[in-house]
Amino acid sequence: MSKKGILIIFLFSILLTSCSKKIKEGMIVLTQVSHEINNNARSQIVALDYGEPAKPPMILTADLWSARSPEISYDGTSMLFVAKRNENDPWQIWEMQLKDLKKKQITSSSFDCTDPAWLPGEYLVFSQGSIKKSETELSLYVCKKDGSELKQITFDPYDYFSSSVLEDGRITSIRRTPSNEIIIVLRPDGTKAQAFYTGPEGTSVKSSLQQTPEGTIVFTETSGANSDSGDIISIRYSRPLHSRENLTSKTDGDFKDVFPLKSGKLLVSYRFPGNSRYLLGEFDPENRDIRIIYDDPEYDEFEAVVVEARERPKKLPSEVDMGVKTGLLLCQDINYDITAPQFTKLSMHKADRIELQGIDSIFGIVKAEKDGSVYLKVIADTPFRIKTLDKDGVTVHGPGEWIYLRPNERRGCIGCHEDPELVPENKLPLSVRKPPVNVPVHINLVKEKEISLE
Amino acid sequence: MKISVKIILVIAVITIGIISFLPLHIWAKEHVNSKTGVDDHPLLCTSCHLYITNNKFITAFVNADYLSPINLAAPANGLLYAVAQDKNSLLVVDPEKGKVLESIPIGEHPHSVIVDNACKYAYVSNQWADNVSVIDLQLLKVTDTLKTAGGPAGMALSSNGKSLYVVNSYTSDFSVIDLASGEERKRLVAGNNPTGTGLSPDGKLLYITSRRALVGRYGDTLMSEITVLNDSSQKVINRMNIESAYLMENIDFTPSGDLALFTFIRPKNLVPSIQVEQGFMMTHGIGIIERDRNRVVQLLLDEPGKYYADPFDVVVSKDGKKAFVSNSGVNYISVVDIDSVRKLLSESSPEMLRTFSDHLGISSRFVIKRIQTGWNPKGLAISADGKLLFAAEMLDDKIAVINISSLEVIKDIDLGGPRRITVARQGRRLLNNAGHTFQTQYSCYTCHPDGHEDGLVYNMASKDMGRNVTNTQSLRDISKTAPFKWNGKNLTVYRQDGIRFSTVLTRTEQFSYKDLDAITSYIMTGIKYPPNLQYNPEGKLSEVQLRGKAIFERTADKSGKPIPPNNRCITCHPPPYYTNQKPADVSTLAATDDSILFDTPHLNNIYASPPYLHDGRAKTLEEIWTIFGTSDKHGKVGDMTKIELNELVEYLKSLRAPNYELKNAK
Repeated sequence: MSKKGILIIFLFSILLTSCSKKIKEGMIVLTQVSHEINNNARSQIVALDYGEPAKPPMILTADLWSARSPEISYDGTSMLFVAKRNENDPWQIWEMQLKDLKKKQITSSSFDCTDPAWLPGEYLVFSQGSIKKSETELSLYVCKKDGSELKQITFDPYDYFSSSVLEDGRITSIRRTPSNEIIIVLRPDGTKAQAFYTGPEGTSVKSSLQQTPEGTIVFTETSGANSDSGDIISIRYSRPLHSRENLTSKTDGDFKDVFPLKSGKLLVSYRFPGNSRYLLGEFDPENRDIRIIYDDPEYDEFEAVVVEARERPKKLPSEVDMGVKTGLLLCQDINYDITAPQFTKLSMHKADRIELQGIDSIFGIVKAEKDGSVYLKVIADTPFRIKTLDKDGVTVHGPGEWIYLRPNERRGCIGCHEDPELVPENKLPLSVRKPPVNVPVHINLVKEKEISLE
Repeated sequence: MKISVKIILVIAVITIGIISFLPLHIWAKEHVNSKTGVDDHPLLCTSCHLYITNNKFITAFVNADYLSPINLAAPANGLLYAVAQDKNSLLVVDPEKGKVLESIPIGEHPHSVIVDNACKYAYVSNQWADNVSVIDLQLLKVTDTLKTAGGPAGMALSSNGKSLYVVNSYTSDFSVIDLASGEERKRLVAGNNPTGTGLSPDGKLLYITSRRALVGRYGDTLMSEITVLNDSSQKVINRMNIESAYLMENIDFTPSGDLALFTFIRPKNLVPSIQVEQGFMMTHGIGIIERDRNRVVQLLLDEPGKYYADPFDVVVSKDGKKAFVSNSGVNYISVVDIDSVRKLLSESSPEMLRTFSDHLGISSRFVIKRIQTGWNPKGLAISADGKLLFAAEMLDDKIAVINISSLEVIKDIDLGGPRRITVARQGRRLLNNAGHTFQTQYSCYTCHPDGHEDGLVYNMASKDMGRNVTNTQSLRDISKTAPFKWNGKNLTVYRQDGIRFSTVLTRTEQFSYKDLDAITSYIMTGIKYPPNLQYNPEGKLSEVQLRGKAIFERTADKSGKPIPPNNRCITCHPPPYYTNQKPADVSTLAATDDSILFDTPHLNNIYASPPYLHDGRAKTLEEIWTIFGTSDKHGKVGDMTKIELNELVEYLKSLRAPNYELKNAK
């Protein structure tokens, strides 16, 4: 064969090779973890052909020491994942182009960066550790997919992890406090954080929330104290706190991750009763059947996702203005108490002021107006919590959980113990007839950027 | 021509094109930026030169004449009668065949239709003609026209069939018309902007709902009226104040008559508009009048993460088991289980029921289904046999037919409107739909019903809470009245509905430019003023109005001293739009306002927009000067007598839509 012929065959074989090194639409991408489950177990991301699961999987992260948590972009062309080059490196966020499998590292932090999720407009949200006092906290951060515009968006002393993005554009994340774990929903700029879902006593959410094409939300939840898997739970987006349905209560075995398919079925990590290894399965919520799709005896299969375009969530506008140093908080009635008997709305022991506590100091005491309302201008991105006091300074309620306001955020609440399904009464709070009270209260003047009137 | 010359020519054209592209592009960008008031427009000439132009040839080319069915009647003869509001006609539809049998021309801008028990006559209220067309259903012709007061809308027949009750939405009263003589025998005061009405099944009481709240001071509890009339004495026996609700469009009864159900919106205009989450802007639901207990309970149809905006009509099934509510802003019909409502009412304390009126979870107790419909479901009707529900899909030119037992849409009757959806029509759909607001909590229509304004004052809180409250402004015929907003900050509708709009108001993804083109097109070309039949029906001013006009145009006070030009009415409010489109300080700033100038408002049809001034503090036009303008800075009025001020006000009320004013000028 001539040199020219050899060159042509060589080039053609490169072309063929490059064609095969491509993730096609409809393939499944998942994390495989060597079965020895421990925190340092190596993991890899592989791709499977949904139609031919018997074919050997394509390993996508062979050149990395460990990789996991694949997240496909809304247009189906690229994938976020977390990886470490070397065993002792912190986890970082990476992106892979699915057409040519080219990878690039997005974050370069000295702390672990985990649990990425795509936001619209080529942004992403992820959890990043930071040292706060003697403990490591996981806060939420957002950045562009080139790593620029990195911003922290949660500022309370809690851990946020397993984030996902709802179709309405908001982020859901598991928030762990010393006393509980709940699902929080917040806007991508960190504003308007509020409880989205709380499971029954003793349960714990174990996966990110995934919204199905029909609008319901699925995730896994365990009722065992130390278990990392459990049942598949479904809730309705329109009423998440009161629509919990256990889809697998009558299905033996454990579920760990769940991913909704366009067919209405769910891709799941599943293990049979008494077995310690997770397989890849397809669960049918209609007839509650589980079908095993793939099983590699050397690995556990987790975090399966399908490579396909999905509807992009709404791109929410942001009210945050980093030139502003404060946020505004309006509480309609500090005495509102849904737990009071017979819906009286007022607790018997009436508060007339609130104490605002910072992490290291008391921010001050603010007297409520006669209608129970308070209007505060709070230094932004600074956690605080509120305790209600009676006229003698005796605690009525609280302190509540840590909250924070973003720069220029305006937030309203009905009361300290409000029912999250209740809307405010249409009344003009007395407190907004005056300027807001600065918090911390010793600040007489906040030299603020001039906001123009809309 | 030689080939070489051709080549040179081609090269020359390409070179000129390349050289001129950049300057042309820069010019185009500057031109478009200046015209749209935004800096990210995709440079589409069509935005201005096709979709918002007033050129007759172009508008004829880009627009289409739609039907826009708004209300329906389904009498015992098995036919369906649909009011085609934009075609000024009544459509006779065979629901079985799904065909329009006849289109009967009626008056201008018809609103509602009812049919008598014998199916001999149909009555159609012509809202912009101040009359009711009487249609002989055998002849399929208008055989009589009954004069009413302003803006006739909902109607009902008296229990003996001898009187027709017509709700006059613009004059806020209702007419009692003797059908034998065709004469209006009585005119009784109703709530503010009444529309819907219904006679109780026992034939004793007539209920009339209203849309606008009773005018009060900002901060007062919002109240809207339901007026109750005794059918036999034809006297008003009760005026029920419905707290914290407005836009009560329609009402219906259970067959036993123990419950009356009406639609409403509960706005949050007194709460600073700082978020949409948790129902901080609007909620929507049904009111239930328990006639035996003389009690009104309000229940929300919304859910915590999804709002069912702009409920319009409500009808109760013949068996009294279900009620259907058209949520026109989200293209759904909510199905209410009435037994569940009864259970809720019987087992809940008054305090609990009061809490439920603001509770988003309560709908799960009684809403059993949401039926998706076409665009903008409005009027509903149930077939005589009780098996089918009909829904007028106003912006689809269709009627949905729903099986009441399966609660499924079984077909859509196409009424024969244009198939093509024009840019302006799409804009109208968007304006009437809550899909561009976070969790569909409200549409543009919610605060701008019928493209007008809702009469409420809001605290938009873009800067501080509790400050700079503003009165909602009408969207009618505003194309030549830029800038927009009370502070005149937005030079164009493009800017008005751009990114800041989504940041502080809709709080979800901003309009795409395609949608922005559509909504701008509709706002700039499609929202018209009703004719001012109340104060200036013929375009001829009365003696009083002429004297008021002279005061409006005067250049000297009564002592002969010249009034400075900037303190004359006519300087800032010149016809045809009665605005000079310039900012002004007329000494109306409140202590809670930032120190700004206000865009001079246009005054066309000003009679229909109380309350007045930027913060709605003046309940009437008179109050602008008698209470809030005594310093002579808002025009020279200090030398006028009370009678002269009344004459000025009468003239102001006579001002009509700009097209009439332009005609007068010609």
